Amino acid sequence: MAQGNLKSTRIVTCAKALARAAITSMLTLAACTKPASLVPPGYLQIDLPTAPTAIDPRITADAISSRTAELIYDSLVRIDRDGAFTGDLAERFERPTPTEIVFYLRRNVRFSDGRPFTARDVKFTYESILSPATLSIKRAGLVELAAVTIIDDYTLSMTTRRPYAPALALATIGIVPYGSPVPGNVANPAPPGTGPFRLARFARDEAVILARNPYHQFPANAVPGLALKVVPDPTVRVLELTEGICGFAENDALQAELVPYLAEQPHLRIVRSPGSTYHYVVFNFRDARLRDLRVRRAIAYAIDREAIVASMIRGNARVASGVLAPENWAYDGDVMQYPYDPAMARSLLEAAGYSAHARPLRLTYMTTPEGLRLAEVLQAMLRRVGIEIDIHTNEWATFYSDLRNGNFDIASSQWVGIGDPHQYYEIFDSHMTPAAGGNNRGDYSNPQMDQLVEAGDTTIDPAARRAIYGDVQKLAAADLPYVSLWWDDNVAAFDRRLAGFAPYPNGSLIALATAAFPVENRTVRNAQ
Amino acid sequence: MTRQLLRRLAALLPVALGVATLTFALIHLVPGDPVSAMLGDYAAPADVAQMRHDLKLDLPLWKQYGAFLTALAHGDLGQSISQHEPVARLIGEHYPATLELAGAGLVVAIIIALPLGIIAGADAGGPGDIAAMGFAILGISVPHIYLGPLLMIIFSLRLGWLPLTGRGGFAHLVLPALTMGTALAAILARMLRQSLVQVTGADYMRTARSKGLSERAALIRHGLRNALTPVITLVGLETGALLTGSIVTEMIFSWPGLGRLLMTAINNRDYPLVQGCVLTFALSYVVVNLVTDFLYSAVDPRIRLR
Repeated sequence: MAQGNLKSTRIVTCAKALARAAITSMLTLAACTKPASLVPPGYLQIDLPTAPTAIDPRITADAISSRTAELIYDSLVRIDRDGAFTGDLAERFERPTPTEIVFYLRRNVRFSDGRPFTARDVKFTYESILSPATLSIKRAGLVELAAVTIIDDYTLSMTTRRPYAPALALATIGIVPYGSPVPGNVANPAPPGTGPFRLARFARDEAVILARNPYHQFPANAVPGLALKVVPDPTVRVLELTEGICGFAENDALQAELVPYLAEQPHLRIVRSPGSTYHYVVFNFRDARLRDLRVRRAIAYAIDREAIVASMIRGNARVASGVLAPENWAYDGDVMQYPYDPAMARSLLEAAGYSAHARPLRLTYMTTPEGLRLAEVLQAMLRRVGIEIDIHTNEWATFYSDLRNGNFDIASSQWVGIGDPHQYYEIFDSHMTPAAGGNNRGDYSNPQMDQLVEAGDTTIDPAARRAIYGDVQKLAAADLPYVSLWWDDNVAAFDRRLAGFAPYPNGSLIALATAAFPVENRTVRNAQ
Repeated sequence: MTRQLLRRLAALLPVALGVATLTFALIHLVPGDPVSAMLGDYAAPADVAQMRHDLKLDLPLWKQYGAFLTALAHGDLGQSISQHEPVARLIGEHYPATLELAGAGLVVAIIIALPLGIIAGADAGGPGDIAAMGFAILGISVPHIYLGPLLMIIFSLRLGWLPLTGRGGFAHLVLPALTMGTALAAILARMLRQSLVQVTGADYMRTARSKGLSERAALIRHGLRNALTPVITLVGLETGALLTGSIVTEMIFSWPGLGRLLMTAINNRDYPLVQGCVLTFALSYVVVNLVTDFLYSAVDPRIRLR
């Protein structure tokens, strides 16, 4: 028996040695293998929460893909920090008639492969998008476009089917060189552009490496390139920022509750700026209970939006009065307000014939897993005034389908990157139901609103247009097809030494085109 | 042997057909539409109708199913709706990453489990057993979502030995493989221990000892081989789970694998891509089980494939 124990001990010792050897050899081998770096030295690493699905500006659909494409491709005009249109590839533009815009193009502009840029490239880009073979999401946005006509190499005109005030929005698509193959059918995911960067490498689901466009002007000390790296885990993004591996992250890439921790890191700087992303609750007017203005107003008064912004979003937002943020040229804040007032909410509900005991109001609320926290907050707030909401959580595609099919009582969602007030036509005109290609998902119908938003689209004079949208904002706040919740702030966390970053309200990464390290480039650890 | 292999491979066909049918049915049953996901909020009804026609989504479901099966029989998985790329190319880009991760996870699991299981099994009730099984309990209990960042903080950020995230050389593989392999190692070690304890008292072990074999030789040559059969079954089953269950690890380590591709495809209602990914996963699972069956006969000559 004693001998048996001894043997057993020897086996244990042997197995322990085996385990030690295995672990040590693995770590030694790993330590000896130099990591193959995806991020070139000196490049500014930007962490993204999701991967761009496409780079070609003719097909980019989601926000991350569009923001990546903006860094490579210039468009005829661009939306500036006030939400107004400014020349980009077009040096200037004019509107000789209500249906025509003439663009005068910049000369001596070259694509990153050296080809000169001319009007022919613009016409080609638009024709390529409109070709059914391209299967482009942008084709729908060009429905008002009648023709793109070349006048000479550096002049071209765009005509619309009717007088269309927001026509300049049609000119915000990135331009690709004449003859670029249809996206998807070639190994190369992106043709060259005239923007500040060129695509050096597209590692799908991993990273997009952008080098400087040699034909584009950039400041001395500018970073030699950007590495947009996909890091899906929020904790890992914070680890990369705190360790200096990642040099820049903003908005969706930063969890609100982790921003105070990042702010404590000495090498990081947090910049907050007003944003235009608008969060709202939409009512379904197909439901007779919600057609009652008293019920909609009761819900608006029952939501403590100040508390939501202060606690749930940690102050990284502003309580919203309407779709347009104060920075927008057409903003009008002189509208009906709904401060938190549960007593008012209860009396409005009572007047509408509802009471918590005798005739309770019970509504279905649709949301996504990401929206569940807000849903629970709203549920608790509405319960205080006697409204019960049943929360239905589905992943995004199902939620989106329910929203478009009118399968909800109330739901909350957001509009990202609003520039032109034409948005009001898309969401509140009674003809713009999802089936008709619009976004009036609640089937809201008010002839006065229809008349205003249709006039807003066809009035070219900016002052007259501004007055119209002032009335639209007043009517929307009084009639409440949406309860406005908040406008997100843009929050960016980046290396303190990085200069030349000036945020855009829509969160565009083009703000990094002039990014530079003033003295000597920070040594970026190549642990990717 | 070859005939058996061919027979088993032929049996894969109905399985593949079943999986393809189920995937097709499921993705078409859930609400949501790839065209509205792709054309977005402002699509004109005419464009939506045109695209539905181009993608053959306006055909009756049975016709779509027929077209899907016909293409599949020709090895054509179709074109991804959201990424504008052939599905086969996308799977070809992502699948090696998943295989690499699952394979490395398995190797890590076996490297850890074998010595731990032997220590515990040979020293049942002793300190080695308690320590090894304590580790096993810990390994099973710690979720990937916690273990991954913990390993990152220690080995990448504090010690600086290994890269933090991404796919690259061998060094990139170590932390995700450890994250994936630890829980499996714990399960395998427990199974091996249990199995070893059972065989220690078997008649053939007594015979081996009475022939004059040392305890170690008896355990390694006779005991371990017999104890391995249930462990191999478990390895087979768990390898399938490693392949399909790598999504959390892929998210934490920014690993560009098939799991992440599938998640994106589901969110975009990208029917062809979802079908392609699920089919790949399902067939991998079946192939792994087939390999496991063949391994049995190698380890235990009494088991013969019929």
